[in-house]
This record gives sequence, C-alpha cells and structure tokens, in this order.
Amino acid sequence: MATNLDQLSAADIAAGVHAGKFSATDVAVAALDAIKAREPKVQAFLEVVESLALDAAGKTDARRSHGEELGPLAGVPIAVKDNMHLIGTHTTCASHMLEGYKSVFTATCVQRLLDAGATPIGKTNMDEFAFGSSTETSYFHPTANPWDTARVPGGSSGGSAAAVAAGEVPLALGSDTGGSIRQPASFCGVVGLKPTYGAVSRYGVVAFGSSLDQVGPFGRSVADVALAMNALASPGRDPYDSTSQDCPVDFLEHLEDPIAGKKVGIVPELLEVEGLTPECRLAIDEARAALEKQGAEIVEVDLPNISSAVAAYYVIGPCEAFSNLARFDGVRYGYQEKGCATLAEQTSKSRAHGFGAEAKRRQMLGAYLLSSGVYDKYYYPAQQVRTLITRDYKHAYEKCDVILLPASPRTAFKFGEISDPTQMYASDMFTISNNIVGNGGISVPVGLGKDSNLPVSVQLQGPAFKDRVLLQFARAVERGCGRPGTVAPGFSGKGGDLS
Amino acid sequence: MKKLADVLKDWEAVIGLEVHTELTTLQTKMFCNCRLSHDDPPNTNVCPVCLGMPGALPVPNRKAIQSIVMAGLATNCEIQKHSMFYRKHYFYPDMSKNFQTTQGPVAFCMHGHLNLEVSGAGAAERPSWENLASDGKTPIRRRSADSSYVAPIRILRIHMEEDAAKMVHVGGEEGRITEATESLIDYNRCGTPLIELVTEPDLRTPEEARLFMEKLRQTFLTLGISDCSMESGSMRCDGNISLRRRGETRLGTKTELKNINSFKSLHDGLEYEILRQAEVLEEGGVVYQETRHWEPSRRHTVVMRVKETADDYRLFPDPDLAPFDLSDEFIEECRQRIPELPDAKRDRYVEKFGLKRDDASQIAGDPVWAEFFERAVQVGGEKAAAQLGKVLCNDLAGWLRAHSASLADEPVSPEQVAGLAALLACDQIPSSKAGEVLDLMAKSGKAAEVVVDEQGMRQVSDATALEPIVDEVLACCPDQVAQYKGGSKKVLGYLVGQCMKASKGKGNPKLFNQLLRARLH
Repeated sequence: MATNLDQLSAADIAAGVHAGKFSATDVAVAALDAIKAREPKVQAFLEVVESLALDAAGKTDARRSHGEELGPLAGVPIAVKDNMHLIGTHTTCASHMLEGYKSVFTATCVQRLLDAGATPIGKTNMDEFAFGSSTETSYFHPTANPWDTARVPGGSSGGSAAAVAAGEVPLALGSDTGGSIRQPASFCGVVGLKPTYGAVSRYGVVAFGSSLDQVGPFGRSVADVALAMNALASPGRDPYDSTSQDCPVDFLEHLEDPIAGKKVGIVPELLEVEGLTPECRLAIDEARAALEKQGAEIVEVDLPNISSAVAAYYVIGPCEAFSNLARFDGVRYGYQEKGCATLAEQTSKSRAHGFGAEAKRRQMLGAYLLSSGVYDKYYYPAQQVRTLITRDYKHAYEKCDVILLPASPRTAFKFGEISDPTQMYASDMFTISNNIVGNGGISVPVGLGKDSNLPVSVQLQGPAFKDRVLLQFARAVERGCGRPGTVAPGFSGKGGDLS
Repeated sequence: MKKLADVLKDWEAVIGLEVHTELTTLQTKMFCNCRLSHDDPPNTNVCPVCLGMPGALPVPNRKAIQSIVMAGLATNCEIQKHSMFYRKHYFYPDMSKNFQTTQGPVAFCMHGHLNLEVSGAGAAERPSWENLASDGKTPIRRRSADSSYVAPIRILRIHMEEDAAKMVHVGGEEGRITEATESLIDYNRCGTPLIELVTEPDLRTPEEARLFMEKLRQTFLTLGISDCSMESGSMRCDGNISLRRRGETRLGTKTELKNINSFKSLHDGLEYEILRQAEVLEEGGVVYQETRHWEPSRRHTVVMRVKETADDYRLFPDPDLAPFDLSDEFIEECRQRIPELPDAKRDRYVEKFGLKRDDASQIAGDPVWAEFFERAVQVGGEKAAAQLGKVLCNDLAGWLRAHSASLADEPVSPEQVAGLAALLACDQIPSSKAGEVLDLMAKSGKAAEVVVDEQGMRQVSDATALEPIVDEVLACCPDQVAQYKGGSKKVLGYLVGQCMKASKGKGNPKLFNQLLRARLH
C-alpha cells in the first residue's frame, strides 16, 4: 500500500532515501504532486520550482548510486520563505517592489540545507518584507490556514507554516523578527523555532530588522526541527555574516533526555494579560502539567520590564527597516517607475508604487524616529529598554532553565478580521521580547483549542545559545501533550503518495 | 582686493580641514572581497555587498582597521578600543544602499596632533605676537630669528568609512546631474575603504593649511596606507574657513571650500576665501554658511549650495556590524608596523649625515625619495651623504620636473646618482653639467664617470693648465681690466666667462675666478 509523503517525518524521508526504500526523486515527485493537489486551497507558495527540485533530487540519487555519502537531509523536500535567496528562484519578499527579482546568490541558511541533501521545492508566501502577522500584506495573494481556510495562517512566515501544516513539505524555513516563525507555527499547529540571534546566518536573507531577524525551521515534530538545526547552525559561524557565532552543538543528541529535576519558569502576570484567550491560557496549564509529570519543577519568575517590549520593538524595528529598505530605489533592480523627468521623481514614485501600505507605514515611522531631535526621545530609550529586558531575562534564567509562556494570545483569526495595525501588532505580544534580547524561543502545539477547535501552542524561551536545551523541553511538551506529525485534516492524504 | 598679509593683520582666519584618504594600497574593499582597483572597466569589481543587493551583509576588512589605527598612532591620536560603525542615510545612486557606513561619535582615532614647522615667506603671515596655539595653552615654538615657528595642529578624529561610486553625468555643460540627460554609475569605487581626518580649527593661514596637508600626505605615504594622490582623488580635502577680528574670541560664519585637487588649490582657494570674506565683512556685509567650489582656472570660488538647515542623515548604529573591541595586541601589532616617520628620518639625516635641514625634510617626506637616498648613501658612503642630498634636492628634483618623470620609476639608479654626486664633490664636472649628465645616464644606463669621460666633460682644475688661458684673456680685454681696476668688480664675471669660452667650457670656473683675482691685484 502506498504511503503518503505527509505521513513521513523529515527524518523518515532521509532514512528511507539512505536505505534505498525510495529515491529522492520519488520523494520530490510526491511533494510536487501534493503541492499540485493542495495548493489551490492553501496557496502557501509564491513559486514552485519543479525542475530545480527534480534536478537536486536526481543529484542525490546519483550520489547514492555512486556509493557517495548522503547528508542527514537527503531527499527531504524543503520550502523557503520568499525573503531568502536561492539561485534559480525569484526572491520577491511578496512585494511589488521585487516582483520578478531573480536571486543572484544563495543564502547561507538555504545552502546549508542543500549541502545536507535537501531538495528545494519552492518559495513561500509572506507578509510584504515580513511586515505583518497574517500574511495578508503579501502583494500577490493571501495564504489560507490549512486548519480552516477562511482563516489566516499567521505571519509573517505564513506560507512556510501553512506548507508544513498542509503536508506539502516536512520542513520549511522562516524568519522571525518579532514572532514571525512562532506565531504562524502556533496558528498552523506546527513546531517553529526562532534560534538565538547569531546561531543561523542571515547572509542572503533580505533584512527587515538586522538586530532582530533570525532564521529558523518549521517542522511537524520537534525532532525534525532539531534535525534542520543541525544543518543550519552546527557547521559553525558564517564568515559572510559578522553577527553570526559558532554554535557547535548536536541538537539531536540530548533531545530525548529526561527533564526531571530541571526548572521551568512561569511569569504569572503574563498569564493575566488582557487579550489572552482562555483556551490559550489553558494550553499553558496543560503544558505545565505535562512537564511536571515528567519531573520538572515549576518556578515563578519575574520579567518586570517586559511590558515595554512591544513599544521598544516598534521603535527599533521600524528604524532598522527604514534603513534596510532604503536601497529599494528602482535604480539598480526592482520596481522602477517609467517616464520620470528627474531622479528624485523616479525614486519617490518607484517607492510610492512599489511598496504596500504596511511597508510604507513602517519606513515612515522609522524615518521619523531616526530624525534629529526625535532620535534621542525614542531610539535611545528603546535601546535602554532592551538592556533592561536583557537583564530581566538573565536574572530569570538564574532560577530556571526555560520559561513557559503563550505563543500567541489567540488562535488563528479570519481574513480581514483585524484591520487596526496596533491590534495586529499585539498578536506578537508574547514573542517580541525574545527578539529584543536575542534569545531562542520555540512554539510547540499542544492540541486544538476547546473554543475555536483550532491549533493551540505554547512557547518556550531559553537563554542565549541554549537552543538545544529549548528543543529538549519542547520535546518533553510534545511527548506529554502534542500530536507530532499531524497534518491538517482537510489536506491529509490529498495527492503526494509515494509510489 | 587687498593683499593677504594686510588682511591678516586685521583679521584672524580660522581654518579647519576635512581630509579623505582612500586606502589604495589594500587589496580588497571595506566590506567585501571585491578587488580594489578603479582602473578596471566600469562595474567589474562589484558583488552583491557593494552593489547593495538585498540580503547582502557587510564584513569589515581587518587590514583597513589596521591602516586607520596606524594612521592614528602616527598622528598622536588616542586609539579607541570600543567604537562602532553607523549608517548615514541619503538618497543618491552613488551609494548603493542609500546609506553610507561610517562611524559615529566615537571614531577609531580621537584627539591627535601634528607639529607643523612653518618657515619662509609663509611664516610671516602669522603675526609675530601670536605665541600660543589655538587651544590657548600650548606655546608656539620658535626655532630661529627668521620668524619660522612650530605650531601644534590638533586632530579631532580619524574615522573609517566607505567611498561612494563614481558618477558621470552626460549632457549639460557643467557635468552636474541637474542638467544631465543621462547619468552613468561605476560601482568599482563603491565600498573603497576611506579614512576621514578632521582637524580642530587650529590653522590660521593658507600656508599652514598647505603644509598640514603636505605633512599628512608624507605621513600616510610613509605608512604605506595610500598612494595619496590629490590629482586622482585618492586624497581629497575640504576646507572650512571663517574670519574674525583680531582679538575676537567668537567664531565667524564659515564657508566650506570644495574641489581642491592640489596643494596649490588648497592654498590659493583659502587665500581667495580669506580675501573675499574680508571684503564682504569690511563692506558691512554678511558671510553666508555655504559650500563654495574653487575654480582654479578663474581663480575664484562660486557657491555650490547654501546650507539653511543641517542635513538630517538619520545616523544610527549599524546593526549588521558588531561593535569593535580592539585588543591591546592588535594595537601593539599596528604600532610595530609603523616605519620611521618623516620627522624622525629628517632629524637622523641632519644629525648623522649633516644634510641641510630643508634637504633632509624634502627627502624624508617621501618614502620613495628616502629609500633612493639611502640606497645611494650605501654606494657613495656616509661622508658623501650631504653632497648627495644637495644633488637629489637640486639637480635630480629639477631634472625630474623638467622631464615630467617620477623617481618611483627610477629613470636613473641610486648608484648612478651617487657617482654624479662624487664627481661634483671633487669638482670633476661643473655643477651646470649635472642635468646633462643625468640625461645621458638615463638614456644609456651607464655610470656617471663613464658618461662624463665619453663626453669629455671633466673640467680642468689644474692651475698650471689654466694660467696661460687667463693670461690670454687678460691680454685680449684691456678695457675690462681697466674697468675692474677702476672699481667695477662686476666685470670679473665677464672675464670668467671669457676664460670658460677659451677653455671650451672645460676649465674650473672657481679656479678661473681665483686666478683672475690674483692676477688683477
């Protein structure tokens, strides 16, 4: 009887290809078939690269037939967020500004997955330039949440989360600037890790907020995410990213280690904040119980300045975004307004018509916040807040190994349900502080919400460069209450049988 | 307009310089591995980083940091272990990211100084009663009675940044973008490591400004961090200048002088600005804060743009580049790499070799000259060094100028020049023949002795051989002899000339002179 690809983990696929149970080409064909069947409803991809996929898979198979060693991700189909370069694909950041832009080099993070044997399948939808929490700001089309196609998949890495949840690919890359991996992971019921800042290279990832952005994997199980991290981070720092650091860790080695006797921090006031829905609050209790059952000790910790995190974030993020997006002027590449009389007119019209509303809002905000006289009032205090919150976390981790908190205040919302930008910004209230301090965080599904019947997750946060420990606790939550490998029921088994 | 010296009696000129130097001796750009060369076809030394392609990230060039630390140490700066790169934003296509990566309030090098020796006519421009440097504390040292002095010129900072691309505006007369029909951009230069030195407003005369630039150029050349060519633009200088009445302590409104591509332009442009501002102020007018363009051909400055408000560059720390934490070892390594600097070299040449101070300065100021000189001394011996210095600074320098040649290409070798100096030292050839000998040596590659003998240029310094000629000339010129005896000593020169003519140029003119005098008394 044929196995559907969506029933296999990334590790299963790699093992099958290694063992010769099926070929990398079989897997690629199955993934492309699943995409063909499922994509009309989910629209997770902006570009599917069939020939690139078959070519890469063919090379993996050739290696095997020549007796060469295969990588730990041999034949595993991967989807890549459309803000990461991959030669042979376009990189649009879901913006009119970069419509048709061809990647001129391959991002280090993508290259490392390819080096580990992965098969690139395509580029996934996102909020324009990663500005958003619902993937609705994409210039091209929305992406549906596989669990309820009337709802958003979250964002900004909504396409990657949806592709994994719909069973189109077992692994995908996202980027997280304020929660853009962890929030869509929770909306789509998959595992999403934002590693510690510096663990994964940003070279080749179109920058939003350079001091906040971090690339990380989505998977349907904690083990698959750990497998991806071994390829992304373990080879060492990237000489092309001067903010990257060595992270010589095997993320799988201690994954199944017991957590008995270890300490999990809870921040009580975070569980009382306005806007946190009861089912998301309940998820914390479930995860807590699961961890306690495995022998972990729950301790209360205090993060006194965390309420300022969102404000600091919406200063630092727009400032860096303004600066990073200044290069899009229509001169060398990207959207160029035709028929302009002067350079100034060309620049301003190219930017006015190339960027969407949210991208313009953030850049204007940044331009204002960095202007003289204003800078001292906002940017500088925001950096001070950053220092304070970093100190808060440091103190907290003296008392515990990881902190358990919600991933998102609520489950996936409907398209168009949130139109007020500040309300949209609030959906990152539990994730942003981790970007501010640069620590790792992971979103782990704990089941379906009792009110919404939609996926609910919890978040675990850890100290800098303790992402391995984070994965170990995430695995404990998964073991206790998750349903690893679950594909959204409406999509499971549709196309993608491995012949 | 008045004369500069007159204006400077009533007005004090307050001058500060901003000097940009491209680190042309490095192999690669500031933040990527692109080859550092402006001579290649346009847009061939480019990559995603220096083209500002999305997703590209900068990685600082360690050797460039080494160069700026060396520059700081050589100019007595405090090296800042902790500093950062900042982003300076402006929309213009010569900067591919629309921001320039530069440094913020703290630069790698802060608070240095260079001691400036000013002598000759330029020294007189600084009034003699001014005996304190502009910090109001440091005494200005006088070396001698000829009004020459040593003034310390403070350096505020030297920071690291990247150069912009080169733009060529096609169409329109002035080569400016506003009239252009087309603009071409060559990104080969974009991302070139650039150091910017900013002085305190300590300079008081155009001559001081010129000397400061010269000294800075000599220092950077000696460090080997740049080719320092003002003509090609690898060293560029802007001057800020304001006037105030003598005795006034508040600063006047300054103008910024641009388009300075030679030491002469710097001097003349500042001189013009001083005269222009003085005229405006004396007529009761107002100096506007503006950027002015020096036009050397018309010898005046024109307004480029008026600065009504400060530009808002939205400077903030570059989040792609981690803050620096320079180690003591790194700084010490830079210190070890600093060769003997021009001042020390000059003093050594004076003390050890007995060179004239001016000759010593001239040779020590250019590493190519210094190396040539020292090689020639090795051949000719230390005793001949002073003569060698004279030959280099007078004969060789003049000859190179006349032939538009550069010593770097060694049109003549140190051995050849040492030979020439030896012949001159013992009066074997007249000094007037030095240029001719250099010509012949350059063409043939032969030694000085060989060339001189081949051409029969050796002069006769044997009195017994010259006396008959003297007698002959005196016999032929009774009128001149009578004039001389009547008190017109000038006529002696004529007689020497006649002797030279009669000896077919081979007699030693000094000896003829002596013999004539002896005979006429």
